[in-house]
Parts: sequence; C-alpha cells; structure tokens
Amino acid sequence: MASVPLLRGYRIERVPAPSRLATALVSLLSLLLALVFGGIVLALAGENPLTVYQTMLRGALGDWNGVAETLVKTTPLLLAGLGVAVAFRMQLWNIGAEGQLYLGAIFATGTALFLIPTAPGWVMVPAMIVAALIGGGLWGFIPGALRAWFGASEIITSLMLNYVAILFSEYLVHGPWRDPQAYGFPGTPTLPDAAWLARWGTTRVHLGLLFGLIAAVTLWVMFRRTRWGYEIGVMGENPRAAHYAGMPTKRTIILVMVLSGALAGLAGMSEVAGIGHQLQRNLSPGYGYTAIIVAWLARLHPFGAVLVAFLLAVLTVGGDQLQMSLGLPAAIAPMLQGTILFFLLGGDLLTRYRLTRVLGVG
Amino acid sequence: MRGITKRFGPVVANDHVDFEAAWGEVHALVGENGAGKSTLMSILAGLYRPDSGTIEIDGTPVRFRSPRDAIEHGIGMVYQHFMLVEPFTVAENVVLGERRSTVDLGLPRVERELAELSERYGLGVDPKAHIWQLSVGEQQRVEILRLLYLGARILVFDEPTAVLTPQEATSLIRTLRGLAAQGFSVIFISHKLDEVMEVADCISILRRGQIVATTAPNETDRRTLARLMVGRELAALVEHPAVEPRDEREPGETVLALRGVGAIGEKGLPALRDVDLAVRAGETLGIAGVAGNGQSELAEVVTGLRRVTNGTVTIAGRDMTNRPAAEVARAGVAHIPEDRLATGLIGGMDLSANAILREYGRPPLSSGPFLAGQQVNTFTDRLISDHDVKAPGRWAKLRTLSGGNQQKLLLGRELAGSPRLIVAVHPTRGVDIGATEAIHEELRRQRASGAATLLISEDLDELLALSDRIAVLFDGRVMGVLPARGADPEQIGLLMAGVAADAASQTETRSAADG
Amino acid sequence: MVRRGLVSVLSVLILVGMMAISFGRVAAQDATPAASEKPLKVAFVYVGPVGDLGWTWAHDQGRKELEAAFPNVTTVYQESVPENPADAERVIRQFAQDGADLIITTSFGYMDPTINVAKDFPDTKFIHISGYKTAPNVATAFGKIEEPRYVSGELAGLMTKSNQIGYVAAFPIPEVIRGINAFTLGVRKTNPEATVKVVWTNTWYDPQKERAAAEALLDGGADVITQHQDTAGPQQAAEDRGAYGIGYNADMSELAPNAFLTAPIWHWGVYYKQAVQDILDGTWKSTQYWGGWKDGIVDLAPLASFIPEDIRKQIEDEEARFKSGEKDEFTIFSGPLKDQSGEVRVPEGQTMTGDEILGMNWFVEGVQGDIPS
Repeated sequence: MASVPLLRGYRIERVPAPSRLATALVSLLSLLLALVFGGIVLALAGENPLTVYQTMLRGALGDWNGVAETLVKTTPLLLAGLGVAVAFRMQLWNIGAEGQLYLGAIFATGTALFLIPTAPGWVMVPAMIVAALIGGGLWGFIPGALRAWFGASEIITSLMLNYVAILFSEYLVHGPWRDPQAYGFPGTPTLPDAAWLARWGTTRVHLGLLFGLIAAVTLWVMFRRTRWGYEIGVMGENPRAAHYAGMPTKRTIILVMVLSGALAGLAGMSEVAGIGHQLQRNLSPGYGYTAIIVAWLARLHPFGAVLVAFLLAVLTVGGDQLQMSLGLPAAIAPMLQGTILFFLLGGDLLTRYRLTRVLGVG
Repeated sequence: MRGITKRFGPVVANDHVDFEAAWGEVHALVGENGAGKSTLMSILAGLYRPDSGTIEIDGTPVRFRSPRDAIEHGIGMVYQHFMLVEPFTVAENVVLGERRSTVDLGLPRVERELAELSERYGLGVDPKAHIWQLSVGEQQRVEILRLLYLGARILVFDEPTAVLTPQEATSLIRTLRGLAAQGFSVIFISHKLDEVMEVADCISILRRGQIVATTAPNETDRRTLARLMVGRELAALVEHPAVEPRDEREPGETVLALRGVGAIGEKGLPALRDVDLAVRAGETLGIAGVAGNGQSELAEVVTGLRRVTNGTVTIAGRDMTNRPAAEVARAGVAHIPEDRLATGLIGGMDLSANAILREYGRPPLSSGPFLAGQQVNTFTDRLISDHDVKAPGRWAKLRTLSGGNQQKLLLGRELAGSPRLIVAVHPTRGVDIGATEAIHEELRRQRASGAATLLISEDLDELLALSDRIAVLFDGRVMGVLPARGADPEQIGLLMAGVAADAASQTETRSAADG
Repeated sequence: MVRRGLVSVLSVLILVGMMAISFGRVAAQDATPAASEKPLKVAFVYVGPVGDLGWTWAHDQGRKELEAAFPNVTTVYQESVPENPADAERVIRQFAQDGADLIITTSFGYMDPTINVAKDFPDTKFIHISGYKTAPNVATAFGKIEEPRYVSGELAGLMTKSNQIGYVAAFPIPEVIRGINAFTLGVRKTNPEATVKVVWTNTWYDPQKERAAAEALLDGGADVITQHQDTAGPQQAAEDRGAYGIGYNADMSELAPNAFLTAPIWHWGVYYKQAVQDILDGTWKSTQYWGGWKDGIVDLAPLASFIPEDIRKQIEDEEARFKSGEKDEFTIFSGPLKDQSGEVRVPEGQTMTGDEILGMNWFVEGVQGDIPS
C-alpha cells in the first residue's frame, strides 16, 4: 500500500475505492463545515453569520433577477469549465482556457464586425459560433500539437498563450478594431443586432447558457457512450494501456486540446454576443482560471460542472450582496468563497486519502 | 515478535503473529502472495507500526518509529528494489544513510571500514566502485554491506533471489549461510520452496496473516510446505516441475517468425541483436533470461509496440514488421504484458472498461462512433463468469481486485478471440498459487487448441512446466534454444549468465561440486 | 460515473433548503416599519477598494461628505467591481432593483452597463463618471483635473535638476493622454528644457507594477516622478531614491514625506452634493458635467513644506489664477501647440474645443513616449 509520511506518527494512505455514500456525505459535511468555519470568522468580525448567509442566498437565488444573474455568471464558467474538464480527463493540463476564451471572443467579434456584418441572425450566430470554436480550438491546437509532436509541457505552453491572447485582444481594442466614435476609449464598436444572442425575457440570461447545457449533455454522451470518449478515458487513466491497445495517442492529444479550447472559445463568444455586445478590455475576470476549479470540483464530470459552475456563480452573485446590503468589507465575500472551496477540495482529498495513526510512538 | 496485528482498512495483513528468530540461524518466511510476509517484516524493520503486539530483542521490548530506529537496534532490511543512488560510489551511498556529520563525510575512513567488512564477510565489494558499474547481485551485496556497516545484526531479505541469476542466487545463499555462521540472525522471505529447503535452518509459514507452522527442512518436504502455504494439495507442478506430460503430436505451421531482429531499448542502447526465433502452432516457446536482457523488448517488438531497427517480424505468414499495435492485435495476437496494472489494465476504471480494451472498436461492442452499452455489459459479464473472476460486479474499479483476479480478467480478455499467437510475459508474477494454477491451465488449453505461445518468464519452473522449447536471452541475443523436456536448469542458468552453450556443459561438473 | 449525481442532488437539496429558510427570514425583516419619511438612497459602484488612497478613495470621500451633509440620504456601495460587462451590469442592476434613487458608477468601464440598466429603470437616476454616453436618466460627470495637473507640471519644471521628469501612466486613453499633455505644458512653461518620459503600466491599481515603472524612470535619470495611477507606489519609489514625487487623487505626504511635493486631487463631494440637492429639489436633469478648479471639484493638495519659498509663491499665485477662473482648461490648451514631431497642431491665437480636448490622442512636444495604437 503506497503511503507517505506527513506528520510524525501519521501517514496519508490512498483509499482504494471511495464509496458513493462516503463521497456524498463528505461533500455535504465539507459544505457544512465551511459554513460553520466561515460563520465563526464572521461572528468574530461582529456579524451574524445567519444574516450573512441569508443575504448571500437571497442575492443569488432570492428573486428571478437574482437567479437570472446567477445563470448569467454560470454560463462562461460552465463552458470554460467543460473545456478544461475534457482536457483534464486525458490528463492534459490545459491551463489556457483564459486565452482560448479570448481567442473565441476575438474570432466571433471579427466575424460579426468585419466578415459578414450585414448577415441575418440565422447566418450570423452560427457563423460566430463556428468562428469561436475555430479560434479557441486553434489556441488549444498549438499546445496540443507541441505536446504531441515535441513533448512540450502543455501546462507551460497553454499558460503562456493566455498572455499572448489577452495582449492581442488589448492590441485590437486599443488599435485597429477601436470604435472610432468612442473618443479614443478602448473597445470595438457595438456588434450588429443580428449578432446579439437571444435573451430570456427581460433578464440577461442568454442562449449561451443553452450552449453550455447542450455541451454538457454532449460531453456526457461522448464520455459514456462513444468509442472516442472511452479512448480519452483510457488515455487519461493509463496512457501505456492506451498504447498497448493501439489507440492513436498523438492524434487524440491534439483533438482533445482542440475540443477543450473550442469550448472555452465558445465561452468567449457567448460573453461577447450574449452580454457585452462588443469586444472590450476586461472581457473575462479570469473565467478561464476559475474554470479549472469548476472542472476539478466537478471531478471532470460534465453534469458536475453544471452544478459547480452554478455553485460558484451563487457564491459570486450572493457575495455582492454582503457589501451592497450589509455594508460588509468587499473582502468578506471572496473569503467565504475561498473557505467553501477550500473545504470542498479538502473533503475531496479526504474521500480519496485518509490519515492513519501509526502505533508505536514511544 | 509477539501478537503482531496490522490492518489496512478492512484487510488484516497480520493477525496476532508470533515470530521468533534466533542468532546464528537462517530463518525462512514463506507464504503465498498477500499472506502478510512483507507486512510482518516491514513492521520488524520499522517501516510500519503494528496496530498491536510487541517486538523484543534478547528479551528487551523495543519500539520503532522509523527504519532508522530499527537500524539503531540492529535490524536492517534488504528490499527487492535497492535504495541506491546510481552515480554515487558504494561508500557515498553508505554515508548517505548515515547523517552523523554534515560537514566532513569522512569518506576515506568509511571506505577503509567498508573494505574491512567486505573482506571479513566475503562480500567482495569495492567501496570505491560506482553503483551503476555493479551487477544486480553486487548491488545486493552493497545493501548487505551497508546494513553491516550501520551495525545491523538481524538482517531481513525480501525475496532476495527474485532478481538474481541462478549462479548469483547460489552465491547469495552461500553469503547468507556465512552470515548466520558468524552469529547474525538472517530472515528471508521467499516463495521458492527449493531454495528454502536448501538454505534455511528454520521455516515459518504464513497463511492469511497467521503463522500456521514453524518447522525445519529436515522435518518436512516441499509438498507439505506447499500444502501449508495454500491450505490444500497442489497439482503436480510444484513437486515435479520438469515432468509435465507433454502433447506428442507435431506442432503445426509456423505462426511467428523473427528474422535478424534488432531493436533499441528504453535507454537508447541496442536491446535486441539479430534475434531469430520461430514459434509454430500448438507450440510454446519459453524465453528465459535475467530481467533486462531484452525480454520486454522482444514482447514489444512482436506485439507492435516497439519499432524494429533490423530484420522482419512475420505473423501467420504476413509481414508485420513495424505495423501498428492495433493491426497486430487484429491479426490474432494476444498480449499478456509484463506489468498488467501499468500496461494491460486501467486500474482507475471499472471492469467493463477493462474488458473491452481490445474489442471496443469492433461490432458488436460498438456501432458507428458509439459503444453498444448492452453488448458491453454482456461481454463483461461473460468474461467475469467464464474466467471465474471474483469481483463485486462489472462496475467495480479494477484496482480493487486482487492481483490474481486482475490477471484472470486480462487473460480472459486477451484469449477471448481464440488468438493464433499468445505473447505472455511473466503471466503469474505477483499472483497467488491458486490463480497461478488457473492461468497455467488456461495457457495449456490454448496450446492444445493450436495457439502458438511465446512465454517470457523469469520463473524457470514455469518455463519448464509449460514450454516445448526454451530460448535463453542474454544481452539481447539468443544464447541457445533447448528442448524443455530433460533440460538441465543449471545449463539454462549458465546460458542466462551469458556463458555459451559449449562452455556451459564444461562447467557443469564444477557447478555441481559447488552446490 | 453516474454516482456523482447523488452528490449533486444532495447539494442542490441543501441549497434549496437554505433558500427556503432565508425567504422566511427575509420576509420577516421586510415587515419591520420603515422610517417615517423615505430617505434618498444613493449607491456607488467602485472599481477599486475604498482604502486605495486613490481614485476610489477620493469618490468615497465624496460619499461620506454626502452622508454628512444630508441626514436623510443613505448611501451604499460596492467595492472592486470588475469592469467586465457581466459583473458590472449585475451589480448596477442589483442596486437599481434594491431601490436606489441615484446610482453613481465611477469608472469608464461601467458606461455601457450603466446605460443598459438605466433603460430598464427609468425612474432611477444614474451618474456615470468619465464616459460620454447619456440617457434621459443618465448624466455624466468629470472634472478638469488637467488644471491642477498643469500647475503641478509647472512645479515639477521648477524642482527638477536633471530636466527629466517621469510619468507613470495607466492606459493610453484620452483622459490619461490629456493629463500628460497638460502636465507637460506646465513643465515646459517653467522649464522649456525639461522633458516628460511616459511609461504605460496597463493597470489602474497595482502597487508593485507602478512602483517598478517609477524605478525604471528613476534609473533612466528622472528626478521628479508623477503618476496617473491609483496607488502610492510611484511616490514610495521616489522617496526611496531621494527624488521628488507628484501624486494623484490624495495627499500622499505621509507615505513619502521627503519626496511628495503635491498632487492633483478630487473633491467629488462638491458635485455629489449638488446632484443630490437637485434631485431633492426636483430640478435634476441629465447633464454632462465637466467642472473645473473654480467649481471646487478639482484641487491641488497642500504644497510640501520643503519647497523653496520663491517657488511656493510662484505656484500659489498660479493656483489662485485658476481658482478665480482667470485661467482654466482652455487656457492650457491654447495655441501655439506643437505635437511631438514639432508640427503645429493648434496655431497661435486658437484654442482647442472641449470635444477636441476630450478626444485628444496625440502628445504635445516635450513628451517622450508613444501612444500605442
């Protein structure tokens, strides 16, 4: 049994197969513990924890607008999180979702503003989707191909490409794509109406959410029911077994990175066409990085990603309320979010590993 | 050691074990895989702490928090995988474990002392030699030397002969006897009954975490020991390894032919040189050799997992030189790889996923891009029941199965399509005796039904029991091919050590005299 | 693979359960009697933390003045709201929905979100700082910070020995560009030999990066550092190197006592109080406010005590001219103005229009550095 000494007298041992019930209970318990721990901190800061939690929930889910805004926030996290999960399934550590998101946004914007500015919606939106998939996919292809052909670490290359993508986007919005009507402020002109994604009633919930849900279902089917999904699973769990079975490893690495990037690119398109209606600075407040947390907490499961993206959105949207309604310092919300994530990840660790006391301490 | 109990979760590895070893004796600890031998010795060496029970040395209770504690009490262990730093010299490796002074390593002093120790115990180790220059047997002696230097008086060996050639094993056994004669207490774990009978003064048998008997070689025989180990009588294999009845009919046409095959190994050096081999239908060709002499690469070359640099590989009359692995498999080649969990199976996935690894891409298991769920389930269930795989269900993670059941599943999968050629590498390594029997039985059945088998093993008994002919590999070359029937293990051993066939017969007399 | 679904379902159940509880509580809270007269609720959306001693801090000073001046005005705020459209619009919308009467959005990136929300809440009034888009219920506001910047440039021109002045600048946008131009014109007014070197940081708020930029400028020979940034990083760099510093937004003398000369600062309270008064009086209209030193919205922080008396006198006289309205923004941007290449952009006797100043995208002579495009 593999074991590592951690503290004197204790060892961390891998649990061979955590049971479903244990997994479920630990997740629950972690959440509760996080709330209790956060509550203690809040109480020490002189706040009533119950009021704080109520306020967060009311903000995120207390009315239709709250729910809608939570779903708006869920959308990019879900799409990018799915993208990351696809790559992680194959143990490809794609840290480049942020850059892939920007590339998707750039390609989609370019399509709408310059390529086919007068196209009707039924042409425009699909064209933008395809453009975003190509853009994001391209940004996934580069680290994927470097990994497959030259063995370059995709962690480093995908991370570096983030900066390239973001700075390229900055260049466009400050330079050639800048709206001439904007008094020199950065940002492209507003997209033509046909490029705006349909919204749900008066809320800001847009078609992007549907893209995310469709992508989740598709990926679920792909992982569970298709040969390709099976191959990805085998390559992720045991690349040597994949080689042994004669699976085309290099090709799959590249294709999976392209798919991963394409999904993140779709997240970028959906932010541009669904929310901002222009390419601008600060398109993403780090969705591509949060997506890593989404994928990981979801244990790379597509439906898990839906849930986790939603949970993170609840925390963000609810977190706003702490200052808006209660006047708490803005740092409280991220602290609570961090606490909850910490406990969830910690609980996850505990279901897979355990700490055992080693007898015989003198 | 009294009343030692150690649990890993629900598994009781040691159940109130009482174990005694005396000064000046060689004590063998035998048992099936998973009987708890290694756990017990790891507790003795301070690697694990027992859940209950005590350890006494000369009647004084001791407690170990770490291997270092154990060493300070004079207990040292030689593991199967040596803990040596290759680029360092022997003396430097010894100093690594010492940590008495951080500034002055005092290497000259250490080298002097090591040389003395080596001399006194006849280990023949040069303290200034670099580890990478040493053979496996020599490295093992470095481990022994290190323990002696650190003051160990109780020496524990975990399956010490598993990695050695027969000659090296003989030499080791001589060393062990010598140490015991000088008053050391030597404990060694083994499952090789011949060796145990030869070397031990005292034999303890562990079964399912309990000591079931302690005896001496002159009070027992191999059959009794085997029965004690497994709790039942065994097939003829253990008692008469070389007299397995053999099918006398002529084997059929050539299924596998290697001509002048060369290949480059993991380290970029030639691993196979000009190998000519042929296996015919209904024939089993055994490949003997000490680990690392090209066996792994041979299996990979045949199964399409490694590129051939020279020569040709022909399978069933088709040129399969450097064809992709998938195509080789489709041509009817089954592959039982040497390390099932690392290569042939996926520990983190369920049994279904493991069962379909070969067939997933073809109907009926798949249709178009999709897997046929129902067919996959039936296929898996059939494999589980046909091969008597003990598992809670097809949804269970493969990792949770015992080694034997993992291997049975793999074997079942590989043999499902009535293969024409079976490449089996260490098919029973790490598998208990019960499963070993089942696996051997299956391989015999395949041979009887006309499959050609390339059997690579380091277990000579296994090779002799299953093969029609045995080829010996040394340094990537075929040293000789002999009929298994009537083969002399000593001669095979010499071939494995790189001594050519004619020389081997000359040295025969001397070797026999040494034994 | 499906079994994780169980975890998901359980988690959702908890959330729903907690939601149910919270609804009950919240309903009870809402039932408590409101104050006798409905107070005016003003919401602020900030881009940074209120403790930044910079841009957001300056706005928060205005908020505090507002609360002090009107007992019947309550204020709420949200700090560090990202400028991406998804987050900014959500916060603004939430304030609107929570019943804010006036919402003040204090960064350029909030412009489109503000306009979008304003469409859906026609009865709520909005003030967007630094933008150009308006609506019937959206006013814009900004101040002529270039006036004190110009005077601080005159001070820098008098204080420099090396005739090199470093300018740590956030983004190449018109607001920053015209600030650099105004400052440089001030420098050249008192010291025609001196030049102003610009380094872009591409951030508003990053103490380390701003400090590093200032250090690079000091390494290049500058002995006075100024900034269009929201932290005191550049001032501290100047302090450590024994150079002078001209800050922005706040009196940073405590953080850099030996370096800090002065800083162009904001008095947003002046404008906020006026806007609230207009709402209370029922006379509020959507305007594009652009106040100057004379109006009191911009100012120069007290001059450091170690500035030589003659220079102090000269600067204080100049301050007085701007405060009285004798000089103003347009005086600064009067011809002749040459660009970096020496080409005359504004001939003698002509003055730039307000729109020209607001959209300025070229550097005047004396600036070293490029506007990326």
